[in-house]
Amino acid sequence: MRVVLEHLTKKFGDVAAVNELDLEMRAGEFVALLGPSGCGKTTTLLMIAGIYRPTSGAIIFGDQRVDHLHPKDRGIGMVFQSYALYPHMTVAENIGFPLELRSSVSKAERDKRVREAAALVQVAELLDRRPAQLSGGQQQRVALARALVKRPDILLLDEPLSNLDARLRHEMRGEIKRLQKEVGITSIFVTHDQLEALTMADRVAVMRDGRLQAYATPAELYAKPANRFVAGFIGSPPMNFLDAELAARNGSVVAKIDNLEIPLAHPPATTADTRAATLGVRPEHLAILPPGQGDANAEVYVVEPMGREQIVDVQVGPRRLRAIAPPGFAARIGERVGLRFAPEQIHLFDPSSGDRIA
Amino acid sequence: MATAVIARAPGRSRWPSLVPYAVLLLATVPILVLYLWLFYSSFFPRIEGFRPVGDFTIDNWRFLWDPQSVPQLRNRPPIIPLTINTFVFATMTSLISLLVSSMAGYAFSRLRFRGRRVFLGGVLLLHSFPSVTLLIALFVVLRFLGLYDKLVGVILVQTAFALPFGIWIMKGFFDNIPWDLEMSALVDGAGRLRTWWRIMLPLVKPGLLALGVLLFVEGWNQFLLPFVFMPSGSQQTLSTLVRGILGEGRFVDYGLLTAVGLYYIAPILVLFVLAQDQLMRIYAGGVKG
Repeated sequence: MRVVLEHLTKKFGDVAAVNELDLEMRAGEFVALLGPSGCGKTTTLLMIAGIYRPTSGAIIFGDQRVDHLHPKDRGIGMVFQSYALYPHMTVAENIGFPLELRSSVSKAERDKRVREAAALVQVAELLDRRPAQLSGGQQQRVALARALVKRPDILLLDEPLSNLDARLRHEMRGEIKRLQKEVGITSIFVTHDQLEALTMADRVAVMRDGRLQAYATPAELYAKPANRFVAGFIGSPPMNFLDAELAARNGSVVAKIDNLEIPLAHPPATTADTRAATLGVRPEHLAILPPGQGDANAEVYVVEPMGREQIVDVQVGPRRLRAIAPPGFAARIGERVGLRFAPEQIHLFDPSSGDRIA
Repeated sequence: MATAVIARAPGRSRWPSLVPYAVLLLATVPILVLYLWLFYSSFFPRIEGFRPVGDFTIDNWRFLWDPQSVPQLRNRPPIIPLTINTFVFATMTSLISLLVSSMAGYAFSRLRFRGRRVFLGGVLLLHSFPSVTLLIALFVVLRFLGLYDKLVGVILVQTAFALPFGIWIMKGFFDNIPWDLEMSALVDGAGRLRTWWRIMLPLVKPGLLALGVLLFVEGWNQFLLPFVFMPSGSQQTLSTLVRGILGEGRFVDYGLLTAVGLYYIAPILVLFVLAQDQLMRIYAGGVKG
């Protein structure tokens, strides 16, 4: 089912936790609400769930406006960050609870659907246990089964992976993504982890201070971030930023950083003579070369081998930049190297507004 | 080798744990001695000073099977109906208080309504209000309602006095339950009432049991209210009977008093032994799987 948020606003006192949010999710889409803590992503999710009432704006499921409806009448299933399993009920009772509240579902039908849902998330052998006897990953699966058992139109997940350890998180990431596609249910999940958002979602809505910063596919967000905040938030290690001045040189445009001049493959459309800009470049688009080659001379500050690659911090004049080098790269701290900016992969942002200019 | 090590370990740790037991024992000894004295004395015809004298007898206990032969009880209702009255009084006050305070405690813990703070403050104020000062006002109210000299009336008064404490205790237990559980129940399709009944109430069961025991004991021990508001006898409780034995004439039959006193406290002792685990939890409420 399609979900549309129109000018959605939630104020707590004078503070707007969510401010004029416009968002549209297509039927069957998996959308991530991504942002740092306090950005309003969970508030948005709780408004969609019907637990918070919006201060203004509209929430539309399909063609129906639902913001006046109770949570139980919205056709949603939800997985909470804490899983919120009922401690006094068995796994089977937990999963069956949403159906217990529907007089239209008979006891036999309920048992059947509980077993189906349990099998879907592979907890069929745990039905008689209590939540306290389950591992974190198992609790997560039970919470998913409970959210799905009443066959909701929309699945909401609040930080579904944050309570799991790193290895399990990776496993559940894939699991939830597969499950979402298998069931084909429109799903919205909240996360502060950009990696989770990029790996799981079809589209990612990046939020900050209650406002939408960008809404695009993971690939678009990564390749063409809409503003400096998004550029810095998405990607690990994060993008390097430099204050630069744009200037014309022999019919093309370069970015001047002190005495460095970096050629630009995609200069901004505006043709003012000179203008200030924030230049952004991802670590993997900085190549480390022998000394004297490339756009700039640099000195190795520190090297962090990561196995598949190495993260190399280099000092360029007063600035420190982060680059990625192949595993074979061997350099000692203090060694002189050359640095090349990939001209196709340079991002430019307006220094005051932070908006992308090229 | 291994067994020696295992055997020594608990031996070493036993000494420090004995200290709290010793302190507790020291504090409990006077009470224990008095209970034992009470039990022992009830089987002797006379008590001189603190010393029971005469031959072993069960004469003091004959109020159980032959109350008419006990002069102090001749003009009083029989002991069994009095016991039933006391039981009804304690049970009803604790049940009604439990029901009201678990609902009110939930509302105070979870709902935001106008006047909530004022109401909470008022409840606390009522709790610190000595009930004696209200006796005359309550007398007027009970008379007006036609509940004076009726068990129902005293039950209502006792319940009202018990509620502030109950509401605060239950609010504390509900406060400890994570909001997520409640939101989850709402999303799963439960309304407020069902959430309270199916999710919240089972999770505060330790609190309910502990509070229930405390309220029952309070009701069982209550003397002032039944004494003042049920003067005519047939609906009286055991506490007024004990007081009657104590206060009748110049001569107090201590032998009879010990026996009736023991009979009166026995159910409470049994209840405490059965419920001590629950009572320990009243200050440690929370959700445990």
